[in-house]
Amino acid sequence: MMKMTLDPELPPPIPARPMPLSRRGAGAAVWTLFLLSVKQQIRAQRMFIVVLLCALPVAFAILARVYNTEFFQADDVEIALVFYFIPHAIVPLTALLYATGMVQDEIEEQTLTYLLTRPLPKWSIYVCKLLATMLVTGLLVGLFTIVTYVAIYAGSDDFWVKIFPVRALKTTALVSLALVTYTSLFGCLSLFVRRALVVGVAYIVILEGVIAFIPFLVQEFTVMYHFRVLSERWLDLRPSDWSIDLDTAPDAQTCVLRLVVTSLVVTAIAAFAFTWREFRVKTPEGA
Amino acid sequence: MHLEPTDQVAGPSQVTPIVELRSVSKWYGNVIGLNNLTIRVPAGVTGLLGPNGAGKSTLLQLATGQLRPSQGVVRVLGHAPWNNSALNRYLGLCPEQDAFYEWMTGWEFVHTCARLSGLPMADARDATARALEQVRMTDNMGRAIRGYSKGMRQRTKVAQALVHDPLVLFLDEPLSGTDPVARRELMDIIIALGAQGKTVIMSSHVLHEVQGVTANIILLNRGRLVAEGNIQQIRDLIDQHPHRIVLRASDPRALAAKLVRCDDVVGLELGRKDGSILAETHAPDTFYARLAPISLEDGTAIEEVYSDDDNLEAVFKYLVNP
Repeated sequence: MMKMTLDPELPPPIPARPMPLSRRGAGAAVWTLFLLSVKQQIRAQRMFIVVLLCALPVAFAILARVYNTEFFQADDVEIALVFYFIPHAIVPLTALLYATGMVQDEIEEQTLTYLLTRPLPKWSIYVCKLLATMLVTGLLVGLFTIVTYVAIYAGSDDFWVKIFPVRALKTTALVSLALVTYTSLFGCLSLFVRRALVVGVAYIVILEGVIAFIPFLVQEFTVMYHFRVLSERWLDLRPSDWSIDLDTAPDAQTCVLRLVVTSLVVTAIAAFAFTWREFRVKTPEGA
Repeated sequence: MHLEPTDQVAGPSQVTPIVELRSVSKWYGNVIGLNNLTIRVPAGVTGLLGPNGAGKSTLLQLATGQLRPSQGVVRVLGHAPWNNSALNRYLGLCPEQDAFYEWMTGWEFVHTCARLSGLPMADARDATARALEQVRMTDNMGRAIRGYSKGMRQRTKVAQALVHDPLVLFLDEPLSGTDPVARRELMDIIIALGAQGKTVIMSSHVLHEVQGVTANIILLNRGRLVAEGNIQQIRDLIDQHPHRIVLRASDPRALAAKLVRCDDVVGLELGRKDGSILAETHAPDTFYARLAPISLEDGTAIEEVYSDDDNLEAVFKYLVNP
């Protein structure tokens, strides 16, 4: 290496001690990131797909009422749409689509740099994005769950007696709990697996779709099992093919606790991984 | 032909550094980004010069805490930047990649960056207005970024780096793709920041750009330090070779007709695949100074100017293999 002479007119040197650092304003930064993430999720192209997906049970309910007037049984339709279609398909797919994109979008669009170079602890970037995703998807799926109830029961005698507000809100809370757990799981998955969407779909089909139906210890490792136990305990549902013995199944409190703890643990793992992972931005020069 | 090392150890190594890398290496799998690099950057403006793939962006990403050094020590304001979010309050980065939240307006983007930097709402509003004014984007701040020209996008990127009034500013190819007027204005901003006592590290693969803002340079090639210190010796070398400049204009032929009359232009190439003009000159300073007035003339609006780095590559060859 060769050194050359330097321009003699240098600015004054700074003190040799490391400059003390202030953490003031971190709260404002985190709140801004949360709002930014909510806006991003609302504007994401996948919102269109998810809205269409969420509108399906509403459409099915309306079609069933219009074209099957004689044989229409609201209770059966409720089970089929609210307790099968929504939790088995809509909830995990919505969580998968959103959770796997919340960080990946920033990486692909190369905007993550603007977040990584701000006074935001890296774990808080992940947690903010996760919470924003949970909020947006929770509101979306919760809203469409209630609309599905309306589509099934509107105009019937049961509407105000049986369904609103208690049963509809309990169901929405259950669906939201499952959604939060799935979002945490898939968010974490997206940080460790390159093809998170494919792996996520496989997980939904195999673990949550098949194994959750088998009365064996492994089913207790599925979100769906706990959703069903809670549904049976809180809403007195008794679908025959859920293969759940309430005498041996965990109580409602344990189910909720397991789902919440699972969410917290996988979020902590993901936040830790996010903190220590390098997000290399590919520059045009490819350095 | 090669540079003679001077007996006098260069100034940057003698003053307390704002940014310091000690024996830093960074590799991505089998690819080496930086190779045992030791540099000390003092306050003021420093140019980080090197051809594509030299490791400039890697260095800036290490200094802003986006990457962790594979080996060695990085210090900025005396602190290790990796996973040090509190340090980011004092740093500003204008990244090279042309990435934005496209759906935002310029004002929203810069304001969001101000808020992300922890500024309270009122302060963020004032700082946003000030930063956008500083880069001459006030008139266009209400428009969506997706509709911005390249020059406006570069200015907006610089504004977001400035908005929280950082002590140390890292600018990664900030003049890339800008028109001559924007280029001059951005260079003036960088010079002014240096005069205010800020530390500015500006990367570029264009020697002329760096020379326009500072005499202090760090020269990198293939991840290694080639030279650091005063720019003039390198300029002397490079001026012996024709400087290759690519221009894109609304009417390339009209522009070429004006350029061909200039004495310092020793070659012109029209009809390139992308419609640009390649000009060769022995006097790049004169050439660049002429562009702004030409661009303002009817029919020859210059949309983009950048330097082909072939001649810089040649200089690197001299330096690395004297």
